[in-house]
Amino acid sequence: MLIELEHVTKVYNQGLANEVTALREVSLRIDDNSMVCLRGASGSGKSTLLSIIGCVFQPTSGRVAIAGKQLSRLPDRFLTLHRRRYIGFIFQNFNILPALSVEENIMLPLVPLGMRPMVMREKAAVLMERFGISHRRRFPAGQISGGELQRTAIARALVNDPPLILADEPTAHLDSRLSHEFMDFMADLKAAGKTIVITSHDALVTEHKAVDRVIDIRDGRIHVS
Amino acid sequence: MSVLARHLNILDHTLSSLWRRRLKNLSVLLVFAGVIFLIASFQLVTRALTETAEQALVAAPEITIQKMSAGRQVAVPLAYSEKLSGIFGIRRVVPRVWGYYFDEVSGANYTVLGLERDRMPASGQLDLVLDQGESPAPGRSGAALIGRSVQQGLERKGGSLLSLFRPDLSMVSFTVAGVFKEETDILTNDLIVLDIDDARDLFLVPEDVATDLCVYVANQREVPTIAKKIADALPDTRVVTRAQIRKTYQVVFGWRSGFASVCLLTALAAFVIFAWDKASGLSPEERREISILKLLGWETRDILAIRLWEGILVAGLAFVLGCTLAYIHVAFFGASLFRPVMVGWSVISPSLRLAPTVQLSQFLLIFCFSVLPYMAATVIPAWSCASVPAESALGGV
Repeated sequence: MLIELEHVTKVYNQGLANEVTALREVSLRIDDNSMVCLRGASGSGKSTLLSIIGCVFQPTSGRVAIAGKQLSRLPDRFLTLHRRRYIGFIFQNFNILPALSVEENIMLPLVPLGMRPMVMREKAAVLMERFGISHRRRFPAGQISGGELQRTAIARALVNDPPLILADEPTAHLDSRLSHEFMDFMADLKAAGKTIVITSHDALVTEHKAVDRVIDIRDGRIHVS
Repeated sequence: MSVLARHLNILDHTLSSLWRRRLKNLSVLLVFAGVIFLIASFQLVTRALTETAEQALVAAPEITIQKMSAGRQVAVPLAYSEKLSGIFGIRRVVPRVWGYYFDEVSGANYTVLGLERDRMPASGQLDLVLDQGESPAPGRSGAALIGRSVQQGLERKGGSLLSLFRPDLSMVSFTVAGVFKEETDILTNDLIVLDIDDARDLFLVPEDVATDLCVYVANQREVPTIAKKIADALPDTRVVTRAQIRKTYQVVFGWRSGFASVCLLTALAAFVIFAWDKASGLSPEERREISILKLLGWETRDILAIRLWEGILVAGLAFVLGCTLAYIHVAFFGASLFRPVMVGWSVISPSLRLAPTVQLSQFLLIFCFSVLPYMAATVIPAWSCASVPAESALGGV
């Protein structure tokens, strides 16, 4: 899925005393079926850039187009529908709801789609099988291991089969074995035709062989390596 | 995408969410059901009492005349009825002898009513309020119609004859010809109806006086006018119309119910404020959950739908539970919690049994004053919940 950003600027609390410019005139192109890593220190603007690509919020100025569709000025509802259809998120800490079962967590993106429960369960079952967590299907997510949590998060991001996967600091709280495992999963997804954008400053991620490009961000600006 | 399927999925998610927080939700449900139970109970008791009184008043005379002396009721001379002969519209004036009889064995205080039934225009209606037996032929001596608590007292004693003592302690016995219906308990529970001559004999009341005079009127619309004319013709009497008795019951029960309802509505208001406070203040965990759901493609309306379903389930269940318990409380336990407030020892026999009637409008009113405010208190603040920015689930800048 082709992603194009032109002169994107994002200012938080515009006009207030605590105004922060997170992104400055960022122009970027991410090709379809590629894996890109956004690298930068904490506060550099990489999560903001990921949020704009993920249609979580709008840029203050500039143009964002995904798969040729101009998204910069669309109302919030359309962005939500776009996110629901085209984007799978993997969060820092995975943001799994601990009280829900593994299966319920994976099915969450499907609930507002009005899909029949049996179909939702079948989709979740396929992914749980693929990621080896079928035996944890009914377990509350708060009671499973870190590795299983990670695989649950990936399964949830893939359940509606989105062409674009966005991962925000996915290895920040993982040991090296689980970080490797995660990147191997990402490599598989890329091989399956997905476009992947990861924010990280973890060398294990940025130096992974499947990563096509690392984009350095400093003080809201891009430094291409 | 089917809207119904989407809502079924969200309902399913809501149910599992309610189950996850079952302790908190159960406590809210129980408190809310308790408030609805109290309000519904008062509504049902008031309705049951007024209905019972209404039913019992069917056979009552249109106008009752009582002679007053020094602010107290005294025997009225039968000659007073002759003074009323000039008032146009009066169908008949019938004397009545009644008084209280304390039964030392059972410790109960009965009301004994002596009627001249052959002269009462509505005497046939007496049979309509009888559950067992039938009213004896007018003028027949030695037969009684009794209320349910009198019958119970008689059964405890194991006899079939109702034996009463005159003031000189000589005994007189009556056969039980009939028992009044439960629905008329409010007036007949402790009642013994005798022929007027039997009542005179029991209380040793002279032939030329009665306890009061019952006036029957040809045209119901003329009752207030005739009552006024009677009051003018007999200035030392108190003239009471059936409508006034009915109104007295309504006022007494209505006032008591209204007072209690105001107290309970205050409790309901406090609960709604509490619910509002709970719904509008989001815990960090809830904010996080909402932002995750929004990132995963849930719309604001989906999150509002969760709140709506939560409100419907909790409030609806509390409403059904509260109303059902209220009905059981009134119908099967005689509203024992509120009896002292609503009835009062000095007015009505404590063994009165209430037969509540279910009226849709009553429950609709309770619904409007309980469920709707709760729904508003939980759903309206959900706008702020649903507008939690999705990016808060992401990491730093």
